[in-house]
Amino acid sequence: MLKLDLRDIACGVLLVATGLFIAIYASASLDVGTIQRMGPGMFPIAVGVLLIGFGTAIAIPAFFRAGTFDQVEWRSTAAVLASLIAFAAMIRPFGLIPATIALITISALAEPKFRLISTLAMCLCLPMLAYLIFGLGLGLPLTMFAVPF
Amino acid sequence: MDMLSNLAGNISLGLSTALTATNLFYCFIGVLLGTVVGVIPGIGALAAISMLFPITFHLDPTSALIMLAGIWYGTSYGGNTASILLNIPGTPANAVACLDGYPMTLQGRGGVALLMTTGASFIGGSVGIILMMLFAPVIAGYALSFSSTEYFALMVLGLVAASTISDGSTLKGLAMVVLGIAVGTVGMDLYTGQARFTFGVLALSDGVNLVALAMGLFGVAEIIASIRHVNARGLDRSTVSLKAMKPTRDDIQRSAGPVARGSALGSFFGTLPGTGPAVAAFLAYAIEKRIAKQPERFGKGAIEGIMAPESANNAADQTSFIPTMALGIPGSATMALMLGALIIHGITPGPQLMTQQPDLFWGLVMSFWIGNVLLVVLNVPLIGVWVRLLLVPYHLLYPAVLMFIGIGVYTVNNNPFDIWMVTLFGALGYLMRLLKLPAAPLLLGFVLGPLMEEHFRRAMLVARGDLLVFIERPISATVLALTVALIVWNALSALRRRFNREALSNA
Repeated sequence: MLKLDLRDIACGVLLVATGLFIAIYASASLDVGTIQRMGPGMFPIAVGVLLIGFGTAIAIPAFFRAGTFDQVEWRSTAAVLASLIAFAAMIRPFGLIPATIALITISALAEPKFRLISTLAMCLCLPMLAYLIFGLGLGLPLTMFAVPF
Repeated sequence: MDMLSNLAGNISLGLSTALTATNLFYCFIGVLLGTVVGVIPGIGALAAISMLFPITFHLDPTSALIMLAGIWYGTSYGGNTASILLNIPGTPANAVACLDGYPMTLQGRGGVALLMTTGASFIGGSVGIILMMLFAPVIAGYALSFSSTEYFALMVLGLVAASTISDGSTLKGLAMVVLGIAVGTVGMDLYTGQARFTFGVLALSDGVNLVALAMGLFGVAEIIASIRHVNARGLDRSTVSLKAMKPTRDDIQRSAGPVARGSALGSFFGTLPGTGPAVAAFLAYAIEKRIAKQPERFGKGAIEGIMAPESANNAADQTSFIPTMALGIPGSATMALMLGALIIHGITPGPQLMTQQPDLFWGLVMSFWIGNVLLVVLNVPLIGVWVRLLLVPYHLLYPAVLMFIGIGVYTVNNNPFDIWMVTLFGALGYLMRLLKLPAAPLLLGFVLGPLMEEHFRRAMLVARGDLLVFIERPISATVLALTVALIVWNALSALRRRFNREALSNA
């Protein structure tokens, strides 16, 4: 147990920061206008101010109570996000099938122990399924294989 | 009499739309997928709908909506399977079915529970559909006279209600609505064409992609949180054979009352913003327990305890379409996605929808009947298949889901940028889970934000910048008063909870 509710403090601080950024950016770069003829900046500024208000209201009581914090699943987070990044980076230069294989292999690293056989099986079956559904079934213009050079 | 003949004409129009081969096919696909994702814990209706959302770009809007709706009410049928057999709620709306459903499985009556809840779901769904057929046109007709002022007020009420009632902290829910509205401002300003918050990225000038947002917040974040926490368990399959499903006369007699009360309760709460099927199911259970002659049977396999919530959540599934279709104001994140599907196809949601596109509205309503019948067929004889699905380990499932997310979002614009956005929103979604910030209000704010801004600016133009217009017009004044009452009531009950806790810890 912590003495402060760190979770809600972090939450409030992040919201205030986001609100400040939105309000400042909008008032600096967008026309505010008048209430009768509102410019593109007025609504975002109002939204930013509201966020600052909610963030403050969430953070302040959190200084006066104890809180808990959940275990962060770093490994799952890293593997899942990395698999999507690899997919995004590979789909244009290499095509759908290599990108899918990369996504499956990297996301499989989220498990505490690597299952070689089931990962290989998925690398074989899932790209085929993707081709059948999206390429043949829906007839989308997707490049299956490509050579970047 | 005039209304009845109108209704008959509309029903036949709806049937002729819903019964075309294409729409039947997509209805079937929708309810099938709904059952599958409902059965599997760790993938919710929202994640499934956002995963299949890209496919609907290539369909005509009626088929698209029929399919998405099928997924939505299909998950309620499938969701009770995991609740009853494994004590793991397939979806939040089915969580209550665990309380008495799992004890029934332990007594060897799991098959009976599954058959009876399928019946309860069908009756609840039917009541919901009938109410929608009767009331949606009336509400839409009334709403035709609404101006921007009323719409803005209604949207404020919808957002506040949806974010305060659901779960957890009211402040956090409201903060997420506002954050969603902020994300919704990204892109071209409607009035001046000026780019807002695009940071020079061309792909952002049309705004943040709804599919990327929904898939990241609900799909990717859910996978990250579930990988090490969802495990398949052993199960005795003989309890779900057709023979073991036969209910006793006593079961049926005990069920009639709970189903009637559950359907009524669910229909009512489905129409209100914020109180979706999950709230309806919990309330239905609580009421049955309160009025029962032997409340001590609850929690030990009382059939009333599964029948009332299952009929309530299905009725609520159907009636939640009433505000979405009649007013264009969604009461939940799922309904916001349905609305998004319409907007993407260039259809303006609102009361004029029913008169301008009657085939879309009535075709959708009639497809609900077809979908519910299909679901009964899918759920009773095929239950063995779904049970086997429950046993698929999650480590084989999540890479496939990730693949569908990746390909699905890419096919929307054929632009890898959208996959980067999914990754970003996935990270945000997981961070929000850690901070106990609800994601559904964010999506709702994102869809409603641009509409709210437009109505607010139009109202201000018409009223010459006079903010008092919102309290001078009777309807918007009433709606805003309700909103304030809701916030005050929420703040008071939060204070009372804290007071009780302190009194308890001092004692």
